[in-house]
Amino acid sequence: MAQCRAAAESHDAVALRLAGWLKFMAQSMEYPQPDWLTVDHLQLLYSILDELGWNEALEALPHQDHILSELGMVELQVEYTRMFINAIPHIVAPPYGSVYTDSEGILFGPSAEKTKRFYHQQGFDLRGPNDIPDHLNHELRFLSLLLQDGKLCESEQFMAIYFRPWFQLFHDRVVTNTRHPYFRIMAELIHFFTKEDNEHDN
Amino acid sequence: MTINLTRRKFLQSAGCAAAAIPFARMAKAEDVFVRTPYTAPGSFAGTKTVTGGICGMCFWRCQMVGKVRDGKLVKLEGNPKSIDNGKSICARGNAGVKLLYDPDRLKYPLKNIGKRGAPVWKRISWDEALDECASRMNAIIDKYDEKSLAIFPHGSSAKYPMEFFEYVIGTPNNSEASFFQCRGSRDMAYIHTLGTPAGEEVDMPNAKAIFMLGTHLGENVHVSHLKKYLKGLENGAKLVVVDPRFSASAAKADIWVQIKPGTDTAFLVAIMNYLVKEEKYDKEYVDDYGYGFDDFVEGISHASLEWAANICDVPAKQIKQVADLLAANAPHVSIHPGRHTTWNGNDFQRERGLACLTGLLGTIGVKGGFVKPKNPKVGRCGWPRVVNPHEESLHYQGEMHPFSPPGTPTDLIRETAVSGDPYPIKGMIAWGQNPMQTIPDPGLTIKMIEQMDFVMVCDVMPTDITMYADILLPETSYLERYDYVKRGTQWDYSQPHQQYISARVPLVSPTSADHERKDSVWITNELAKRMNCAEHIPVKSAEEMVETILAGAELSLKQLQQEDGIHLQPGEDPYGVSFDVDFYNSNVEEAGFPGAPTYVPVPQPPKGYARLVYGRVPVHSFNRTQNNAWLHNEIPRNPVWVNDEIAVHLGLKDGDEVALVNDVGIVSAGTSILKTTPGIRKDVIYTSHGYGSRNPQLSVGANVGIDDNALISNRTIDPETGTHGMRNSFVRIVKEGKILDIPA
Repeated sequence: MAQCRAAAESHDAVALRLAGWLKFMAQSMEYPQPDWLTVDHLQLLYSILDELGWNEALEALPHQDHILSELGMVELQVEYTRMFINAIPHIVAPPYGSVYTDSEGILFGPSAEKTKRFYHQQGFDLRGPNDIPDHLNHELRFLSLLLQDGKLCESEQFMAIYFRPWFQLFHDRVVTNTRHPYFRIMAELIHFFTKEDNEHDN
Repeated sequence: MTINLTRRKFLQSAGCAAAAIPFARMAKAEDVFVRTPYTAPGSFAGTKTVTGGICGMCFWRCQMVGKVRDGKLVKLEGNPKSIDNGKSICARGNAGVKLLYDPDRLKYPLKNIGKRGAPVWKRISWDEALDECASRMNAIIDKYDEKSLAIFPHGSSAKYPMEFFEYVIGTPNNSEASFFQCRGSRDMAYIHTLGTPAGEEVDMPNAKAIFMLGTHLGENVHVSHLKKYLKGLENGAKLVVVDPRFSASAAKADIWVQIKPGTDTAFLVAIMNYLVKEEKYDKEYVDDYGYGFDDFVEGISHASLEWAANICDVPAKQIKQVADLLAANAPHVSIHPGRHTTWNGNDFQRERGLACLTGLLGTIGVKGGFVKPKNPKVGRCGWPRVVNPHEESLHYQGEMHPFSPPGTPTDLIRETAVSGDPYPIKGMIAWGQNPMQTIPDPGLTIKMIEQMDFVMVCDVMPTDITMYADILLPETSYLERYDYVKRGTQWDYSQPHQQYISARVPLVSPTSADHERKDSVWITNELAKRMNCAEHIPVKSAEEMVETILAGAELSLKQLQQEDGIHLQPGEDPYGVSFDVDFYNSNVEEAGFPGAPTYVPVPQPPKGYARLVYGRVPVHSFNRTQNNAWLHNEIPRNPVWVNDEIAVHLGLKDGDEVALVNDVGIVSAGTSILKTTPGIRKDVIYTSHGYGSRNPQLSVGANVGIDDNALISNRTIDPETGTHGMRNSFVRIVKEGKILDIPA
C-alpha cells in the first residue's frame, strides 16, 4: 500500500490534538442539554474561536449566560429539532451520510453499510446493533478514535471516501438554513477541522 | 489525513491554549463505539435470516422473514413455512425496509411550542413527555370526568392503549377507523343476520361462483385473500362483479354489472325476490335455519327485476342472469361480504342483504360458501375490565345507532366535542390513526381539535394528524417490536387441515443511539403509572404480553423461534358448520328500522357534478404508506377516472393535469392526472385513496396526488350503526383553474 501523505507529514501530538477537537465537535453536535453544554464546554468553544481569529463568529454567538439560561437552551433545542430531527415543513439537514450520497435518500443506505464495514475493518463496531453508522457524530468520534490510535492514513482515507462527500452537502444546508449561529459555527468548525487543506491556504 | 497548513498550524501552536483539548474536559465520555477484532467476510457472510416477522404494511399480517446483514435489514420475504401467505409478500410488504429507514420517521418525543396545525417542535425526554401527557389528561379528568377524553386508535399497536383508556380510565369515546370508516357496518349486519361477524370468510378456492359487490381484489391486495380468489378462478369459478367501474376484478368477471352507486341493496333484494318467486333458493336450509322468512318474503316482494333495473340503471335481464347463475351454482357460491363497506349511509341494509342472500342460497358451511376457519386456541392478555363505560356512550345515552360496532360513532364524538353537549370532550389521543385522512369532513375534525385542552398523538410517521399534537410520541415500527399473535388455518380448505400460530417479533433492534422510539405497551404502562393506574398494568412489556398469549397454546417465544417463527399443528374440518339466518330481524324492526333488507335511496349528484367514488391501489395501504419512496415510485399519483365520452365533451384528454372541487366548494389541495376510460359510469368520478397528505414533513408523499377524504364533505351516517357513508359527496373537475361541469 502506498504511503499516504499524512504519515510523512504528521506527528503524534498534532493527531492527538485533532482527535480531541473532533471529539469535541461530535459532542457539540449532540442534542443541547445542560448535562454537557456547560460553562466549561462553552469556554472551550469561545477559546478556539478566539485562537482561530473568527471574530465574526464570536460576535454572532450569544453570550454564555444567555446560552446557558433556560430560554437560551430552549432556543438551541428547538433549532436542533428543526434542523436535525423532525420539523415543519421539512427536517433541514438530516445528519446521516446516505441521505445525501445514495440516490434514494434512504437512511442506512448502501453507503452507510460501507461505512460500517470500514469501522469493522479498523477494529470497531457500534455498540448499538441498530445504530445508524453514518451519523455525523458517529463518524466524527470514529475519526477521533483512529487518530488516537495513530491510524493517520486510515483517517485520511475515511475522510476522503466516507465523510467529506456528504458532509460538504450537509454543511451547506446548515450554513444556509440555520436560524441559530451556534450550528452555523459548528458546521464551519467541523469543516475547518476536516477539510483537505490546500497549499495556497498556507 | 493531511494535517497541515492552516489547520495544522493551529494544532501545532504550542502556545495556543485552545489547540490541545484535554479529553478529561469532555463532559460526556464517548460510548458509541466498541473495539472488536475484524473478520474478513465471505460473499454472504454475516447475512442471517431472522424469523418471526409479521408484516404491518397493511392489516392482513402476512408472515415474513428478514434478511439482516450487520444490523441492517436488507430484505423481507414471505416465511417459507407459512401456510397463509406462503413465500409471497406483496409490494407493500417488500417495501417495509423503506419504512424502517425512512429519514422522515419520528425519532424522539416532541413538544409543540407553536400552534396546533402549525407546530414548532422541541425534542423532549420521554419522562417529560409522559409527565406532561399524564398530568394534562389527569387535569381534564379532574375538571370534567373520564368521558372528556376521546381516543382515535388504529392498528394492532393501538389495541393495548385503546383498552387502557376504555376499560381502566373509563372513556366510551373510542372511534376506531377500522369500524366506523371501514367494516363496522358489515360485521354488525352479519352479526344481526348470521350471528357472527363476516370477516372475509368465503371459501373462494372451492367455489363454483364468486359474487363481489364493489370488492376490487387485485387493486385491494391481501396475499392469502388473493390466493383464495385466484385459486377459485383457476378452478373455474364463475365471477360476478358489481361495480360502477371496470375494476381489476371486473376485468376478470363473467358478468360485470355496471351498477349505479348507492343502489346495491335494490339489486340484492330484487335477486332475492326473484329467487324466492322462482323457488330457486335452498328451501331445506331456509326451513332448517331460517327465521322470519315469511316476513322477509313479504318485505322484499315489491322488488321486481324491472323495479331494480330502473333504480340500479342496469338491464333487468342482467339481474336475472346473475340470479340464475348464483342459483345454478348454489350452494357452492361465495357471496363476498366486502371489506370497506362504509359507502352511502345505507350500508347496514346492504350488508344484511348480502348475508340474507348467503342464507337464501344455503351457501353456509359448504364448499365454496361462507365458512369460518377453525382457528387454534391461544391465551388472552389485556387490561382488566375495571369499568365498562359503554352504557354511558353517546349513542347509548341518545338512543341512536343501536347496532353500532364497538366504541362510539365518530360524528357523535366530534359533534359533542364541538358543542359541549351533552358534556365536554377536552382531551384527544390519536394512536396509529390519521383522522385527517380517515374521517370525512376534516374541517369538523379540526374544529374538534381546536377546542381540546390537550392533544396527544403517537405514530411512526409524521402523518397529517401529528401536526395537531401538543405532545407527539414516536412509536417503534412493526419490524422493531413484539406484537399480537397471528393465528389461523391453511387458506385452501381442500388441502390437509392445519393450524398455525405465530407472533410478531422484532427483526431488528428497536434501540439506536440516534432515536428513542418505544412500543405501545411500554408507553401505555408509563402513562398508566402516571395516571394512578399502575395496579392494573397486566404485563411489564410487549414481550411478556406475547408470552402470555402463547402460553395459552402451551407455546413460548423460544419454541416459536425454534420452529422458524411459525408453529403448525393439525387442524379441523371447517365445513359442516351452519348458522341460523335472521331473514327478518325483529330486533332491527323494533329499533325502528326495516326488518327485511331494504333499499334506502341515497342523495344524488346536483346538476353538473359526479359522485366521488374511491378505492385502493395495490401499492398503498390507505395513507400509511404514501411516504414510502419505493411504493410511491410505482404509482406516484392517483389517477382520476372519468368516462371517455364525458372527457370528450369537456375537452379533456388522457393524462391531463386536473384538480377536483366538491359540492361545498372545497378544492383538492393537490392535482393528479386524468384517466379517460369507457370503464366508468358517466355519473361517477373515481380515484384511489391514500394520497395528498398535507404534512410537508412527508418529503415523498406531501401534496402529491389528490386527497379524496378532504373532498368528502357530506357526512352521511348509517342510521343503524352510526358508521360513515363516504360516497355521497360530489365533484367537478378543475383544469387550469377552470371548473368544468359534468354533463348529465
